[in-house]
Amino acid sequence: MSSIFFLIGIGFFFGIAAWFLFIWAVKSGQFDDPEAPKYRMLDDDDDTAPQTDNRKSRL
Amino acid sequence: MSGSKTYSPERVQCDHCLQETTEKTAITALIDGERKQFCCRGCLGVYELIHSQSLDVFYRQRCDWQPGPPLPSVKVEAGAFSDTVTSSGKENRIDILLSGIRCASCVWLIEKFLMKLDGVLSARVNYATHKATIIWTGEKTGLDTILNAVRSIGYLPHPCRRNSSSDIFEREKQDLLLRFGTAGFFSMQLMLFTAALYAGFFQGMEERYRLSFQLISWALATPVVFYAGFPFLSSAVRSIGRVTLNMDVLVALGSLSAYLYSIAMIVMGGEVFFDTSAMIITFILLGRFLEAGSRLKAGNAIAELAELQPQEAVLVSPTGETSLVPLSSVNAGDCIEIIPGDRIPLDGMVVDGEAEVNESMLTGESNAVLKRPESEVFAGTFSINGRLRISVTGNAGDTLLSRIIRTVEDAQARKAPIQGIADKTAGFFVPATIVLALATFLYWNLSSGNTVFALMNAVSVLVIACPCALGLATPLAILIATTAAGKRGILVKGGDIFETVSKTTTVVLDKTGTITKGRPAVTDIHFFYGTLDSFLQHASALEACSEHPAGRAIAASWHGEPGKVEQFRAIPGKGVSGTIDAKIWKAGSRAFMEQEKIIISPEQDAAASTLEGEGKTIVMVAFEQKLAGIIALIDDLRDDTLPLLAGLRKKGLSLQILTGDNRGVAAYIAARCGITDVKAELGPLEKASVIRALKEQGECVMMIGDGINDAPALTEADIGVTLGHASGIALESAGVAILKDDLKLINTMIESSFRCFSIIKQNLVWAFSYNLVALPLAVSGFMHPIVSALLMAASSLFVVSNSLRLRKI
Repeated sequence: MSSIFFLIGIGFFFGIAAWFLFIWAVKSGQFDDPEAPKYRMLDDDDDTAPQTDNRKSRL
Repeated sequence: MSGSKTYSPERVQCDHCLQETTEKTAITALIDGERKQFCCRGCLGVYELIHSQSLDVFYRQRCDWQPGPPLPSVKVEAGAFSDTVTSSGKENRIDILLSGIRCASCVWLIEKFLMKLDGVLSARVNYATHKATIIWTGEKTGLDTILNAVRSIGYLPHPCRRNSSSDIFEREKQDLLLRFGTAGFFSMQLMLFTAALYAGFFQGMEERYRLSFQLISWALATPVVFYAGFPFLSSAVRSIGRVTLNMDVLVALGSLSAYLYSIAMIVMGGEVFFDTSAMIITFILLGRFLEAGSRLKAGNAIAELAELQPQEAVLVSPTGETSLVPLSSVNAGDCIEIIPGDRIPLDGMVVDGEAEVNESMLTGESNAVLKRPESEVFAGTFSINGRLRISVTGNAGDTLLSRIIRTVEDAQARKAPIQGIADKTAGFFVPATIVLALATFLYWNLSSGNTVFALMNAVSVLVIACPCALGLATPLAILIATTAAGKRGILVKGGDIFETVSKTTTVVLDKTGTITKGRPAVTDIHFFYGTLDSFLQHASALEACSEHPAGRAIAASWHGEPGKVEQFRAIPGKGVSGTIDAKIWKAGSRAFMEQEKIIISPEQDAAASTLEGEGKTIVMVAFEQKLAGIIALIDDLRDDTLPLLAGLRKKGLSLQILTGDNRGVAAYIAARCGITDVKAELGPLEKASVIRALKEQGECVMMIGDGINDAPALTEADIGVTLGHASGIALESAGVAILKDDLKLINTMIESSFRCFSIIKQNLVWAFSYNLVALPLAVSGFMHPIVSALLMAASSLFVVSNSLRLRKI
């Protein structure tokens, strides 16, 4: 009989955890910009200078 | 005098900025035994600095570098940036906008150079936005040092302030998302226990489970009603206080009555309906969230536009000194400098310099436009490769860009008349519903004596009547349609205008620059000597030196090798003359030929008169005192005019042309278009009165025009449509602005307006008939509140998804 309350408790625990996760995600701006991330992976942010065509340079 | 430029062999390239300079003025320096040449001391300084930090690799790796000297020596005041610094503990962080970034190597150079400074922990430059984020510790390095380091290598930092209105949008969106997410989360949990309770109702369940599930349901419903539903509750209270009841009153009443009734039932031991109270809130929040999403997108479009306008300008004092000042201190008539790669901060007229300017953000036109002295430049556009000095024509609030931003903002504030219907309805609808719910409760309570059943029916009435689908039907469709149009470069100033578009019966077109190209092109060539090729070659060689539009058109009509002209002479307003292969050639108007005593035979004269009768401009070309030929030009139709007219005809609209031009030209153009209704030689006010007369005949008139002379007509017409950014005043007086240079978009707009309003009608019919059918059912006790909440959500969902079809135009 108490198993049902135990299971409800576990259910609540995960549920509330998910809710807090959601609140954290909203507050930290995870949903702010659903557009940009797909372009961001194309950004060249290597630590070295961008690879460029040396034939074009003058030296 | 020939038009071609000459390059002397003495020219050298600056080793830093790649600009060409002469050997004489170049500054030569020996750097590590290598001889380097620079155009100015500034470049030399930057080169030495980069070299001293052993970042020479920049010069080897840069590509796509547009020649241009570094920025003028402008002082950077750290004070202007101090309010944008955020500090946490020892770490300071600042976002700055950089001008002068021309290639990906610039990004690399700035990052590397800043990282070499003491105390800088991280420096990141976004190539796309030209925004740098710098994190440093304050002990060793001040903000001053960082900013001047950036400046010393030739980039100008600007403070980066967040747009306050976009901040508010952002917060509203977050708030709504939190409330909706919470409501959704708790409602889902709640449904779990409600389902168990329902099952228990039919199969029977132990009392202690029933009670504990009911209590859990209460606990779960509470945050939904009072946190997620708070906007409805507070709005309802305010609305009751003002005695103008709105839709939120229904939502609040429906939800609260189910909630309070359920609490009473826990005590009294009956069935609970917490799920009803929570679901009402959740579903309506979903509707709000979807609506806010599309409104936010429109808001973001404004914020994006606003971000195009820089907040500072490089002011050039009368003595030639430059300083970086906030935009507010620049007045009309001041001279400001635009650096290559920089956004132009204010509208103005070029006084010095030449540059290709990218105006795509205003016009959608991707090709750069050449700006030279006396060209107009617009705030928000940017110079690609040249340095310009411009004389400012208006302050920051008076630029084309800010007018566009205001236009968009106005558009969102204005409501379509059809939207007014829903709002007005709410005024008596809400009290009527409350009365109906009350009557339902009293009737069932008295007739059946079952308070529970009576209250459930009353709640059903409230929920069913809640006309959120009705409220969503119009604004959502208009918002989606105008946003979709905006993406295509069609700026509609308001829902009312968008609605009127679908009622248009007559379209009035301006001629010059609207359906025609606005510049002449060669149509006929009559020649009396030699071959067509040799005649055209000589005529175009002569006219190639001319600045006159007709001259340019003639020069453009010859694609072969141009001839060489000597002793070129232009007589303003008359014509040109010059010597080609030791023979004198002249070209110009008939009056010019008469003045120069050129012999014109009667047949030639008759040919010229015929061409003039067709409305064409003629240029006579003479060879050694005899008439060699006649070239006729006309401002011809744009390529997209005929598709536009075909589209308009297909919609069954009657067409008319109004023009200030002479009858001959008007008749020619009208014949080309197949339009019979033409009125020529009209002034701006006469155009407006023609439109007024049409309106008095009961026509709904759309006017398409572009110039200042069309402004009164554009205002007078039911819908004014203006093209491009040719004239600011036309933009302001028109209801619709087509920002891209494509007439066919007018067809798209009309099509989209028709579709939008047929969808609105579908939405309204659906929402009304839903209420019409469901309300009697609820009153007569056939609807459980849950079923009605579900139906209501389905109804909203129908309206939303039906409206979303407008996204594709």
